[in-house]
Amino acid sequence: MGVAEGTPSEPPPEPVAPAKPALEQRVLRHAPWLGWVLLGVALVVAPQVLPPYYRSLALAILADVALAVSWAFFSGPTRYLSLATGAFFGAGAYTTAVVMARVPWPLPVLAAAVVAAAMALLVGTLALRLRGPYFAVFTFGLAELAKHTLIWFETGITGTVGRLLLNPPGPVTLYYTVLGVAALAVTVAALLPRGRWGIALIGIGADEERAETLGIDTTRMKVGVFVLSAAFMGAVGGAMAPRWTYLDPQVFNPLVSFQTVIMALLGGPTTIAGPILGAVFLGLMSEILLVKFRYLYMLSLGLVLIVVVLLLPAGLSGLTRKRRA
Amino acid sequence: MTLSPTLLLDVVVGGLTTGGIYALVALGLNLQYGLMRVLNVAHGEFLMLGAYVTYSLHTGWGVNPLLTLLITGPAAFAVGLVLHRLLYARLLIGDAHEALESRSLLLSFGLMFVLQNAALLLWSADLKGYSYLAIPLRWLGTVFPANRVLAATIALSLGVAFYVYLRWSLTGKAVRALMQEPEGAQLVGIRTAQIHGLCFGAGIAMSAVTGSLVSMLFELTPFMGLPYTVTALVVVILGGLGNMVGCLLAGLLLGLVETAGVYLASSDIRLISSYAVLSLILVLKPSGLFGR
Amino acid sequence: MTMRRREFLKTAAAGAATVPLLQTRARAQAKPVRIGYTMSATGPYAVGAGITQAPNYVLWQEQVNAKGGLAVKGEGRRPIEFVSIDDRSEIETAVRFYEKLATDDKVDLMLPPWGSAMNFAIAPVATKHGYPMIGPTAISAKFKELALSYFYIMLVQPEPQMQAVAALLKDLREQGKIKKVAVAYVNDLFGIELNSATGPAFKAAGLEVVDTKSYPLGAKDLSPVLRGFKAAGADAFVGLTYPPDNILATTQAKEVDWNPAVFFTGVGTAFPFYRDRFKGAEGVMGIAGWNPKVKFAGAKEYFEAHVKKHQKEPDRWASAFAYASLQILERCVGEVGLDRPKIKAMLDATEFQTVAGPIKFTKGENVVTPGMVGQWQKGEFELLWPKSWATGAAMVPKPAWA
Repeated sequence: MGVAEGTPSEPPPEPVAPAKPALEQRVLRHAPWLGWVLLGVALVVAPQVLPPYYRSLALAILADVALAVSWAFFSGPTRYLSLATGAFFGAGAYTTAVVMARVPWPLPVLAAAVVAAAMALLVGTLALRLRGPYFAVFTFGLAELAKHTLIWFETGITGTVGRLLLNPPGPVTLYYTVLGVAALAVTVAALLPRGRWGIALIGIGADEERAETLGIDTTRMKVGVFVLSAAFMGAVGGAMAPRWTYLDPQVFNPLVSFQTVIMALLGGPTTIAGPILGAVFLGLMSEILLVKFRYLYMLSLGLVLIVVVLLLPAGLSGLTRKRRA
Repeated sequence: MTLSPTLLLDVVVGGLTTGGIYALVALGLNLQYGLMRVLNVAHGEFLMLGAYVTYSLHTGWGVNPLLTLLITGPAAFAVGLVLHRLLYARLLIGDAHEALESRSLLLSFGLMFVLQNAALLLWSADLKGYSYLAIPLRWLGTVFPANRVLAATIALSLGVAFYVYLRWSLTGKAVRALMQEPEGAQLVGIRTAQIHGLCFGAGIAMSAVTGSLVSMLFELTPFMGLPYTVTALVVVILGGLGNMVGCLLAGLLLGLVETAGVYLASSDIRLISSYAVLSLILVLKPSGLFGR
Repeated sequence: MTMRRREFLKTAAAGAATVPLLQTRARAQAKPVRIGYTMSATGPYAVGAGITQAPNYVLWQEQVNAKGGLAVKGEGRRPIEFVSIDDRSEIETAVRFYEKLATDDKVDLMLPPWGSAMNFAIAPVATKHGYPMIGPTAISAKFKELALSYFYIMLVQPEPQMQAVAALLKDLREQGKIKKVAVAYVNDLFGIELNSATGPAFKAAGLEVVDTKSYPLGAKDLSPVLRGFKAAGADAFVGLTYPPDNILATTQAKEVDWNPAVFFTGVGTAFPFYRDRFKGAEGVMGIAGWNPKVKFAGAKEYFEAHVKKHQKEPDRWASAFAYASLQILERCVGEVGLDRPKIKAMLDATEFQTVAGPIKFTKGENVVTPGMVGQWQKGEFELLWPKSWATGAAMVPKPAWA
């Protein structure tokens, strides 16, 4: 009935024993951070150890990651399906082509980001008044509009078309540039939901009118994040452009818009890891299929996409989330 | 370029010709996007397939291209029904509207790849085309190509016929009910799944038939579909999502604006003018010309 | 979750690293000569690639391997093995694979992809790794700016090409057969460069240009342009076009009932399917470079072999140059082996005899082949200009549309 009964001579339990599980718990709790750090180290070291082709592949996938992540930190919470990626990417690429000869690297990338952001500001104030499908289609048309406006301007006023990128920076420099842009994008994507803006965005996505009545300046929020997202997309375009030596207005490619959305959706647009997973998966899968099936890879890629959509409603990140629970 | 009555006539007829084709292909997309929120970016691929089937039937077996419409239309309708059942209907299982739009985008993108690859394997990437009725018709002091006028007339007639069907038939009323009041329509006993399937099929059929008509006018490649999808999307939004009349009128308007742009200024203005018009209208009316 | 993702990335990367490139198998025992390239099998460049370049690469490989392989100096014959993929008309994909071919697969030789844009991106990669590359589908005055020591251009560049057209038109005007010229050009690098060359060339030839109009790539209606030209009284149409707009221009000229004395559409006219599409296209002129009647060794045999292998004729312009570029490579390897700097030295110094005539490179540009104009006459694309290369006389005015 009381503590006095039983074994009065036994000493109280040692406080040492629980320390071991606590250490394990502490490691596990920090495991995600550890994972990111290790990944970061691997990515930084990669160009020094990888052969050039694999380095290029990694570069291309990092660029995709940056695009998908920047798309998702706007379109994910707000649910505005933006198809403007191609326009911003192209604007960034062309900007770099124009200024690269005149300013040292990486300033062209900064210029690219600024130009894309300016474009987003101009377009965003109109476009973000539109809802759902109207927004989607309008943004989709941007790439074509930008292309034809540029052609008209170039042929009519500057009298030339296309720009040669002479003396581009080396592949390792480009790799680190893209890595930097991607890392920054991921950081923004991680920090945004925690701040006031992030919560506001989710509110906008859930019920925009209600968010307004709650006093949130929805226009400022939407346009702000839209512009930030565009800046990153422009930066990616600017960083990749030197690889192609010659750029003309055809660089405004609507397919880029689709591909970015596909990657983000494939991975799961509302998580941070989702777009990253989607970009890596699609990038590697396309490359493998392209190499293995010369005439059938489009078919196989298409089938893979269809199967993934039908079987995984929450995208690839849904897979990992289920396991964790 | 001086403005003369002949020029005006050129612009109007040219604009209506282009616009008629835009209207028909957009109608099909409108049914899918407006009714079911299915963003089918593979829409243009069915146009491409319709064009190739007509091409093969005409150059291989000498079938009159106009007769092939009777083949491509129904065949595409059947294919649409099957695709809906197999793929798109599954997306509706337990998802909110926005997710449906983005997942159907994903699905359609995959489908687009599959269809383009199939066409590539069947017909190769070489440019293919044929000449049909490329004869000048003389009218009111100016000249028009017979095939373009014919294609546009057929496209517009089909579009109007479809609209009439929607307006006055029982099925049509059910479709419109579903578009306006999805929940209410279901309460009244309208079978959503069945109507969705029919509409999806009809949309695909319209796309394929437009393709058959287009094959009389332009060269074919397995990659010709996407620009038509883009145009269809613009027309659908311009006219107001889900609105059939709006769609028809918007298609014609877009055709007119583009043609006028080409005649009065340089050709690059054509596409800039389309988006300028779209922007202007959306500024004034964010849900399209006739949208709610 | 993080662990799993890293695992996934690791295994995926490992998987990608172990995937071998698709290779065609050669049956001979000798160690094969590995030649790498990308070709656009899908996307917008697929049309041109499939007509002009891909068939010639395949034909050449077959012919050479039938002889026992490529003759390599000091090593006898070694079979050719292609290491190639579809670049999807995507520049980034092509750049990546050429890097792979150079550093990972370490191929012996490289062949170029299709089109100027691709060649712009690839040529620096090839030069960086010391692979000589002869491009039969690269046209742009901008290549000179790149100053790539290992890149050689086969085709006549815009300036000499338009000077040839100007000379022909001047000749016709002096015979009183044409008076007013109208120019239409596609708003793409190629069209724009040709147009820039046209201005001065036509002016120097004293030609009266009544109108010049541009149109966007992918235009669906050129009738406004053509109607305008007709109204202005032009009797010579110079279209600086690509497929499919050259086909569109031709179709619509007939539709608007315009049949000028001279109808010239730049690229694509020399393709056999253009002739077939327009029931002979009698009298239509275009950029030319070759036909099976030319007096160069092997021309007729090449034509027949191409038809036999691919059931289609080579085009009457760049096809022959694509094949010629391979003949040149073959000769170099036969005389100096696979040492790439030595191949480059030979390319710089030698005049080669090919099915497309003599070819000699100065600073990477083919300076021997003149700009040429051809015309469809009775099913063959006769060379009209320059007179020294001509296989037929100009048929002006053009007969009525078929």
